[in-house]
Amino acid sequence: MRPHSPRDPAPSLGFGVGFVTSVIVTLSLVPIRGEINRATPALLLVLPVVAAGVVGGRTAALATAVVAAGAFNLAFIPPYGTLKVDVVDDAVALGVFVAVAAAVGTFVAREAERRRAAELRVDEIQALHERYEAVVAERERLAAEATRLVVLEQVDEQRSALLRSVSHDLRTPLATIRAVTSDLRAGAAYDDATRDELLDLVGDEAERLDRIVSNLLSLSRIEAGALKPDRQAVALDELVAERVARLARLFGQVRVQVDLPVDLPLADADYSQLDQVITNLLENAARHSPPRSTLRVGARRHNDMIEVWVADEGAGVARFERERIFQPFRRGDGSASTGVGLAICKAIVEAHGGEIGVQGVPGGGARFLFTVPVRHG
Amino acid sequence: MDDGGTVLVVDDEPAITRALTAALRARGYRVLSAATGAEALARVASDGPAVVVLDLGLPDLDGIEVCRRIREWSDVPIVVLTAEGAENRKVAALDEGADDYVTKPFSMPELLARVRVALRHRRPVGSTFDDAVVVVGDVCIDVAQRIVSVGARVIELTPKEFGLLVVLARHPGRVLTHRMILEEVWGPEYGTETQYLRVYASQLRKKLDDDPRSPRLITEPGVGYRLVDRGITDPPLRSTPE
Repeated sequence: MRPHSPRDPAPSLGFGVGFVTSVIVTLSLVPIRGEINRATPALLLVLPVVAAGVVGGRTAALATAVVAAGAFNLAFIPPYGTLKVDVVDDAVALGVFVAVAAAVGTFVAREAERRRAAELRVDEIQALHERYEAVVAERERLAAEATRLVVLEQVDEQRSALLRSVSHDLRTPLATIRAVTSDLRAGAAYDDATRDELLDLVGDEAERLDRIVSNLLSLSRIEAGALKPDRQAVALDELVAERVARLARLFGQVRVQVDLPVDLPLADADYSQLDQVITNLLENAARHSPPRSTLRVGARRHNDMIEVWVADEGAGVARFERERIFQPFRRGDGSASTGVGLAICKAIVEAHGGEIGVQGVPGGGARFLFTVPVRHG
Repeated sequence: MDDGGTVLVVDDEPAITRALTAALRARGYRVLSAATGAEALARVASDGPAVVVLDLGLPDLDGIEVCRRIREWSDVPIVVLTAEGAENRKVAALDEGADDYVTKPFSMPELLARVRVALRHRRPVGSTFDDAVVVVGDVCIDVAQRIVSVGARVIELTPKEFGLLVVLARHPGRVLTHRMILEEVWGPEYGTETQYLRVYASQLRKKLDDDPRSPRLITEPGVGYRLVDRGITDPPLRSTPE
């Protein structure tokens, strides 16, 4: 059951309104009833019926019509003060009045009812619309929440990918160091050459750990938005020569060929950051170089930038992987290390206003290429 | 002086390969190396090594898959190198036919001991044994008479405890997974009832009167058990390698 609303017809109120207005109309017309035509009160007495119909509906209208007819008869049809009707004309007039009043009252009541129903429907539609909007808003909120969860999940996934990658990268050199030191400690009697080789191995792996830690520190600076290059004049030929020498044992049987023009201008860069880019690219290239192949490092000026490249003769990087390998934790195919090295290169190069990319090399291999600004003045 | 046999080292990390190569050569083994699973399979086929040391994390093939493929046609002992915490990987490798495992980072003496054990016992689990008496250190098992003695003391074992001891003693020094032991002693349908095993292992350890600091029956958490000869010490390193 629908609760009672203010717009529902109120039969008693309607009848009250009809009754009172009928009395008022009748009383106000009685003093002048000698001067007016009998049609005037008849027409005016239809008004209370209309009012009763609007307010109280059909029943109220019909009841008021009866009251109005009574009042008409009492006050305006001679003999006054009685319900007697002497003249046929008057009887007809009374009959027509009752019929017209009933018809008008019913019609008005039905119209009012229809109007009420229409208004009610408008209300219902309004309410439905509001509910619909609430549902849409809720759905949007839920969708936003779901998106947020997906993003959080991705961040979470990246975190655990980082942790996996880091623990793998840290453990690998540690495994070598532990194996060698435990061996030496157990009193293994090696000839001098083997002993030196093993000690070098420990030194190299310790340096490798140091490079990994540097990369991790850079990564946290990048994530904190604190990677601000401290620019100075950098002589690339010095930097490359020193780095290649320090990584010598990493290259093993791979030949390194450095080809820098003598008139190469100074770079405007953060020395240690640029060193990190070169180191990561060299380490990456060494890892993908087949034994006895050649690894080439070169540079040339290109307008206001210096272009630097590191090329290996390994398997190369598939076209679809060339963007992805610069994202953190993307190991290239077949690589067992460094999920973050190339991503750090990209962040550093871009912080200097340069670009980095990788190309294929005719005959196989990958050529990593980046740009860094020329130092002016 | 290659009388120790040939060891194939399979690892994609050149540093660890170099360290292993040096240590193994110094002990008189001939050493071959491979950096990928495919290369490892080819080497096993062409060079017939006496033992394979296999890192499970290879760039091309999963190490467990490499174990499976080697086992399709070869009984060469396999010692796998695994990352710390990867118990399920260890179990999977052992179930696929690996003989033992060492967790990275490992100590070289530990790895060398595993290699020696693998070389000594090349019989796969489940093959038939006809020796009536099995001896591991001071533990002597008369399989036919069902009599077990520890030193001079004879101990009473229930049939299941006896079965457990026998299966472990037939592979001394070698880890057997829970499933291997359960299937062997209790039957194939008990392969996952690890709880049984824990109870019997605990009882057996008490009856053997194991010293908790150096027990004969060693628990490999999440993997299985191994029975070791507490009397064995590693042979001394030869002073002039090659």
